[in-house]
Amino acid sequence: MIQFNDVSKIYNGSVKAVDNVSFDVQDGEFVILVGPSGCGKTTLLRMVNQLEDITDGEIILNGKSLKELNKIEMRRKIGYVIQSNGLFPNMSIEKNVMIVPDLLGWDRKKRQDRFNHLMELIGLHPDEFRKRYPHELSGGQQQRIGVARALAADPPVMLMDEPFGALDPIIRNRLQEEFLQIQKEVNKTILFVSHDIDEAVKMGDKIALLRDGQIMQYDRPAEILNHPKNDFVSEFVGQDRVLKSTSLYSVKDLEQTVGLSPHDDSARIKTIKENTSLRIILSMLLNQEADHLVVEDSHGNKKGSLTLDHIEKFLQVEVREKNDGVSLQHE
Amino acid sequence: MEVLTITDFLNYFTNNSEQIFDYTLEHIQLVGLAIIISILIGVPLGIYLTTNDELASTVLQITSIIMTIPSIALFGIMIPILSIIGQGIGFLPALIALILYSQLPIIRNTYTGIKDVDPNIRDAAQGIGMTTVQRLWKVEIPNAMPLIMAGVRTATILNIGIGAIAAYIGAGGLGSLINQGISRSNNTMVLVGAIVVSILAIIADLVLKYIQKKFTPKGG
Repeated sequence: MIQFNDVSKIYNGSVKAVDNVSFDVQDGEFVILVGPSGCGKTTLLRMVNQLEDITDGEIILNGKSLKELNKIEMRRKIGYVIQSNGLFPNMSIEKNVMIVPDLLGWDRKKRQDRFNHLMELIGLHPDEFRKRYPHELSGGQQQRIGVARALAADPPVMLMDEPFGALDPIIRNRLQEEFLQIQKEVNKTILFVSHDIDEAVKMGDKIALLRDGQIMQYDRPAEILNHPKNDFVSEFVGQDRVLKSTSLYSVKDLEQTVGLSPHDDSARIKTIKENTSLRIILSMLLNQEADHLVVEDSHGNKKGSLTLDHIEKFLQVEVREKNDGVSLQHE
Repeated sequence: MEVLTITDFLNYFTNNSEQIFDYTLEHIQLVGLAIIISILIGVPLGIYLTTNDELASTVLQITSIIMTIPSIALFGIMIPILSIIGQGIGFLPALIALILYSQLPIIRNTYTGIKDVDPNIRDAAQGIGMTTVQRLWKVEIPNAMPLIMAGVRTATILNIGIGAIAAYIGAGGLGSLINQGISRSNNTMVLVGAIVVSILAIIADLVLKYIQKKFTPKGG
């Protein structure tokens, strides 16, 4: 668990990069720090592994204040991924990935096994990449290696500074999906900096929205989208926030809240899976691919049909009627 | 002035090969030792300067000024200073002068090489928990190696040329051939001296280029 207690960072005696920030990140939680440039999100992240000093307040990592910890040792227990991947150009991929275990003095056999495991986790063939060098890899592959390096010594905490920010949208999307899968397996406590609210909504268990070094709102994505606390938050998430929120729900959520209509077996129907995101359903319906869609469960049994009316009704319930504190599972 | 022919040249070369060989050896000794000492001083100094910007600009300025002193004058200055310890002429003043001339290319290239390491890479090295020494050895020096070696190459070539002038203060080497050739109006001697110096410089450059390649990390 990471606790921020009244943390401030002041540059040159006057510039407040981080202003009296307090929040907790629970074990296994994926928290996105998001905000416009200069809002202090990266500074806040870099204070956790002490690349930036804390001017005021304290950060407590698993019950211990950072001040009590040895900088070098604590950094080796925190995975660190940066936007430009930061791979060492003079080292082979294996050496890059295994740098922290190497610093920790792991033996050869253990290092090799770990390398093979990590490469499979990130979907790259270990033997194909072992002896290659960073510049021989594509941007997406380099970033995957960056993630593998951060995971190498199995640290409980990961810090990620816009790790997918420099990639083109298609690759970025793929890496986001892949990383969510990896996170399901490794279950790390993650602090992730992003300037992109869509990425934040997609990836985070919680979002901390920052402006001028202060936290504007710290909540689950659905809460941020549906109940922005102030004008800044609602402006930052955008006027299309209701549309954005549709990506948080699947057909199953809708089914549980407002139910489905009985389906008929007319000729021109389209079937969709239960776990499809509402955003995609909405798009399909607006695209007039069909005026209603038939929902199937994972075994192919038809469960009912839905139309635009269902979505409208569902969003009304979710956005307007549900109060804070109602638990919505974010996948 | 007599006209030189290839035959004159080859005759001189074969008749005096033993002495030319000795001079070449002396030359290599002088320059070699100077470069080794220069690396031992310049590389650590260059690395240290990356942590102290103010000192860096002062040191780089001083070394630049040393470079502008005409070599013959620098050798001249060495004489009274080193006479105090009875070493006014000969090997030692020449060695010291060559070391001084080597400092600029070696220090500056080391300094620039380390400074130019991508800040993201340095940040990553720090962030994953390397100590300052580990960062230097595992990341910064390997990535600065091509530039550091380029500085050593420049210094070596420079020293082979300037080393020829050291003969004037009795340091021996291939400069002696040129020196004697001039005083005896023997163009063959001057030319042989000059050509051997050039060949030496070319060979040294090739050897160092090879070493530079060996030292340069594959990923660079």
